[in-house]
Amino acid sequence: MRNSRRVAAVVIPLVLAVALAACSGGGSGGSGTARKGGTVTVAELPDATPNLIFPLPPASNTDGWNVNLTTPMWPVLTYAGDGAKSAVNPQESLFTSITWANGDRQATIHLKHWNWSDGKPVTSRDFTFVYNLLKATVPNWINYLPGSFPTDVTSVATPDAHTVVLNLDRSYNPAYYVDDVLCFVPLLPQHAWDKTSAGGPVGNYDQTTAGAKAVDNFLQKEGSQMSTFATNPMWKVVDGPWTLSSFQSNGAYSYVPNRHYSGPDKPVLSKLDYAPFTTDTAELNALRSGNTLTTGYLPLNDAGQEGVLKSEGYSVAVQAVPGVAMIEPNLFNATAGPLLRQLYIRQALEDLINRPQIVSKIYSGYADPGNGPVPVLAFPSLASPLEKSGGPYPYSPSAAAAVLKAHGWKVVPGGTSTCQRAGTGASDCGPGITAGEPLSLQLAYSSGQTSMDEQEAAIQSSEAQAGVKINLKSEPFNTLVGTVGTCTAGSHPASTCGWQLVDFGYDPYELYPAGSGFFNTGGPNNQGGYSDPTMDNLINATEYGSSSSAFFAYEDYAARQLPWLWLPNQSFLQVYKSNLKGFTPLNPFSGSLNPEVWYFGS
Amino acid sequence: MTAYLVRRAGQAVLVIIGLMILTFGLIHMEPGNVARSILGVRATASKIAIFNHTYGLDQPLYRQFVSYVGQVVHGNFGTSYALQQPVSTLIAQRLPRDLLLLGISTVLALVIAIPLGIYQAIRRNGVGDYAFTGVAFTLYSMPDFFFAILLIAVFSVQLHILPPEAPQATSVGGILADPRALVLPVLTLTLLSVASYSRYMRSSAIDVLAQDYIRVARAKGMPERLVLLRHVLRNSILPVVTVVGLSFPLIVAGAVIAEEVFNYPGMGLLFYQAATTHDFPILLGSTLVVGVSTVIGSLAADVAYAVLDPRVRYGRG
Repeated sequence: MRNSRRVAAVVIPLVLAVALAACSGGGSGGSGTARKGGTVTVAELPDATPNLIFPLPPASNTDGWNVNLTTPMWPVLTYAGDGAKSAVNPQESLFTSITWANGDRQATIHLKHWNWSDGKPVTSRDFTFVYNLLKATVPNWINYLPGSFPTDVTSVATPDAHTVVLNLDRSYNPAYYVDDVLCFVPLLPQHAWDKTSAGGPVGNYDQTTAGAKAVDNFLQKEGSQMSTFATNPMWKVVDGPWTLSSFQSNGAYSYVPNRHYSGPDKPVLSKLDYAPFTTDTAELNALRSGNTLTTGYLPLNDAGQEGVLKSEGYSVAVQAVPGVAMIEPNLFNATAGPLLRQLYIRQALEDLINRPQIVSKIYSGYADPGNGPVPVLAFPSLASPLEKSGGPYPYSPSAAAAVLKAHGWKVVPGGTSTCQRAGTGASDCGPGITAGEPLSLQLAYSSGQTSMDEQEAAIQSSEAQAGVKINLKSEPFNTLVGTVGTCTAGSHPASTCGWQLVDFGYDPYELYPAGSGFFNTGGPNNQGGYSDPTMDNLINATEYGSSSSAFFAYEDYAARQLPWLWLPNQSFLQVYKSNLKGFTPLNPFSGSLNPEVWYFGS
Repeated sequence: MTAYLVRRAGQAVLVIIGLMILTFGLIHMEPGNVARSILGVRATASKIAIFNHTYGLDQPLYRQFVSYVGQVVHGNFGTSYALQQPVSTLIAQRLPRDLLLLGISTVLALVIAIPLGIYQAIRRNGVGDYAFTGVAFTLYSMPDFFFAILLIAVFSVQLHILPPEAPQATSVGGILADPRALVLPVLTLTLLSVASYSRYMRSSAIDVLAQDYIRVARAKGMPERLVLLRHVLRNSILPVVTVVGLSFPLIVAGAVIAEEVFNYPGMGLLFYQAATTHDFPILLGSTLVVGVSTVIGSLAADVAYAVLDPRVRYGRG
């Protein structure tokens, strides 16, 4: 079902979560006549056990799978993905429209006239309930970004039961706010949840800060009781298409349709079972045995098993992942910082990455080419002509050698190039680079996935063609994360700035693939200390302005400036029984799974 | 015997305390930032601060240790950073699964290995002995994950007669209610253990069969069946008792490979994942449980010695 993680909260290791995408998402309905009923069993990704049913996780709860559990019951305002398109789904979103005024500082959200499963209407009070809880507990919300919702809201008004007016502290690009902010905000049933104890009465406790904290505290505590996920009456009040019917501590859970669902796609299936798996291997074995799973995934390392699965009655669909894969350079590492701060060196490094070969040989063709910050497969409408044409730095060892020579380097293909002309002139190596200094860098990456090993080895090999010596260092993902810190010009302690180049996998995008947080000065995802006033202005223009050309300007500038080195981003292979209809087209923002539109056919 | 048990219990307490200190210290010497490891590389400073405060990681280490010991004394192993569940709950969920799977496998392995070892000792250097020795060496040298995948490939993927997964129920009753799903994981663990146990048993039985008291028993006309049961079995089983006693903590610690391949999350996987995610509370709790089981297993082996061998007496210096 929906697989979502906030970009700022977690970088996703490819080894664990290639299917993850942003926000919620839905598919368009399938075609043909739906056969009512039937049970579908869905394979979960390894270690995908949710542990919190309350849909507003605290900052300390990083279990990204909670959103998979909760979104089918409590969808978020903005439903990302319309069929295969990276666009807002107007049918499934909780609003009929959002109008902007006051120089894009005021958003008026017109809610749809939906009902909760207990028959009560979904109203603007349900929005203020969520807002009050978040505002009282900020920053203790996993999706909170400094300065963003709810702290950017100066006041909220509810002129009627289905209208919410948000007054914001600055102008926003409406597309950014709708796509990347409101996609994290669900509506929750104030009439059932606004209380401070299980046996206590429902009130308006959320309207004071202390009361809201007490309510949040109670809901967090109740929401973490896994044994009562499927039985607590509070969690039975839903506005999404599904309601939880069972939940086991091992992560197996089941949904049945919410018979009072107000949305357009009423579930046709009678039950959904989610099956946990410890490893990709166990999941693949279950698929190959052909009996237990209706749908699952095919790890790219096992793409050769496609034929076996088809013989077991499965079909395979490819899902482009909305995210950006990269190598992050640390511009303030004591040794490599002076090298990596030079654009021409980053350019040479990118020139030497044979991305087409990585796509074809390592990912069997199932990957975005990685030509820049915006994936061309997942965001065809937002990928610029430059990116679509292959990006500013197509694979070219000769171009890499030329740019290095032009800056005073003695290029030694297969060996280690060295700086010959130290200095700060236009044809010199650059400030901080000494004569005789070797062009040698350490690339750290997360271990445990064969394709990652192969990719880094390929990069090491191709970089050597212009004498760039890459020393590989693989570590378990969490170890890597724990030792890679943020480095800036002002702060670069040895304890967290020892890294030079790092490949974590990829960062997922929300529906609007903005660079905010990644490449702006001081951005929370800007580990390597990249800082460029031009980039900051371009990013601000995409986030706070409404110019449609601003996005391409930012995108092309980022593609050329290489705050990160761009890499191919592997796609995700979904496997499903051929008689399961409505499964495709796949929604990039839902982990490809939208069971409300599935049905069994002949 | 009672005094001996009391003395061993006292030693066990000291061992456990030492284990706690050692484990706590070593775990906190791990490189890397725990909060960043759990929250991810993109964690903001405010989220890291909230995390550290929530779990007391902003306190000096000695205070954290005192607090931890206080929790443990009250039966509270803390809350998992990553799974957000009480460690005691997680162990209570996982431990019975391992005890069941590995317990069944161990019992079956003993049931097969003990008579097999004796048979091989009696038929030493015969065709049967060579055949079973060959099988035992093959199994013993085979990586468990490979053997497991081989069984799945044959019985699940090719023949479709057994499921590739272990039972997915969370209760012991539910697991036992799905015996078909137990076959492959039990078979894997059992056969690999048989390979080991039968070698110990064979070697020990060969030694015993050469003893004078066996010749005397036979010379006195004791039926061969009784010779084997009363004298050979009882005397040659002691090394196996040692091995089984030492394997008790392994049973508690889980079988991470089998758990992974057969989709059967138990203690092994819990510990492994905690180790890779810096989930200290789980590491500490699991280590403590395995430490206690090691002490118990060792004690049980000592008691079994006394029962099996009248010459062994404890409690008098």
